[in-house]
Amino acid sequence: MPEQLWFTQFLNQHLAGVVTPLLQKIGFAPHYPEAPFSNFVAMELLVFVLLIVFFILVRARLSVESPNGLQHIVETIEEFINHQSEEIIGHHSEKFTPFLVALGLFILVSNLLGLIPGFESPTASPAVPLGCAILSFFYYNMHGLRKHGALKYAKHFLGPLGIVGAVIMLPIEIVSHLARLLSLTVRLWANMYAGDLVTMAFFSMVPILLPVAFLGLHLAVAFLQAYIFVLMTMIYLSGAVAEEH
Amino acid sequence: MRKFLFLFMLVAIMMVAAPVYAQGTGSPASVNWATPIAAGIGMAIASGLCGLGQGKATAAASEAIARNPGATAGIRFALILGLVLIESLALYTLAIIIIKV
Repeated sequence: MPEQLWFTQFLNQHLAGVVTPLLQKIGFAPHYPEAPFSNFVAMELLVFVLLIVFFILVRARLSVESPNGLQHIVETIEEFINHQSEEIIGHHSEKFTPFLVALGLFILVSNLLGLIPGFESPTASPAVPLGCAILSFFYYNMHGLRKHGALKYAKHFLGPLGIVGAVIMLPIEIVSHLARLLSLTVRLWANMYAGDLVTMAFFSMVPILLPVAFLGLHLAVAFLQAYIFVLMTMIYLSGAVAEEH
Repeated sequence: MRKFLFLFMLVAIMMVAAPVYAQGTGSPASVNWATPIAAGIGMAIASGLCGLGQGKATAAASEAIARNPGATAGIRFALILGLVLIESLALYTLAIIIIKV
């Protein structure tokens, strides 16, 4: 059985009796029946709970006349995402803000969780960035389909040239769209995982002071990668929802 | 005197790498002996070319900001975007190495 973090152990001790029969009934029997929660699932649940608590705290203390500090922070985040998406997508971009803020905050908190001893980043296991990338993929395709209709959206894949150009463009466009899934996943996962690896490698060689530099780098990379994930989603959205004038 | 000291320090530091001498006749016998070598060379090439590309991007961005400081925000945005996209190409190589080695 792989080594468990204290939070994973806590969840497994208390919830394994309920979760394992449920999973077995659905047909997804866990590998270790006494530990159905793996590390990254437990960390994901922790991020989920933290974010819910954060949003509830903000919502409960919203006020127009005297905003408190937390409200300022959330307003800054929302203003930032709104401004960026307005620049990239154009008008009517406010309807994408809830999804983008939720995605960005989830990835940011997941990345930062790995810096605290006793926890690990769920984004350091390849499944979680893949999940976020699949979400982004379906989100921008869904909005493209909803805005243009299925036929006109499919026409985007054929390119601006005539029918001969379409024969060449179609496989290229399909592969490039699937490569977006790959690139979103690998970019986020490899940055987080490589950050962990490099910190461990230098920690094994020089246990004092030098790993702090790599932890600082990992901190900066955590923020940057969350921002880039959201930015790439915005760019794909703008490509899908673009109107020809 | 200084040159002698310098050469002496150099030789002393090279002696620290003494464990290397112990591997005189270690022959790679397992079937996948080439995989770590290929991984090292592949990753080195990927990182090197990524460094070249990012260097060009940063140089162009610095020059653009120097010529037009008013457009710093847009140039910085384009720079960050370009750097991250180039970085992800080196990370694909790293991902293959992590999965296959």
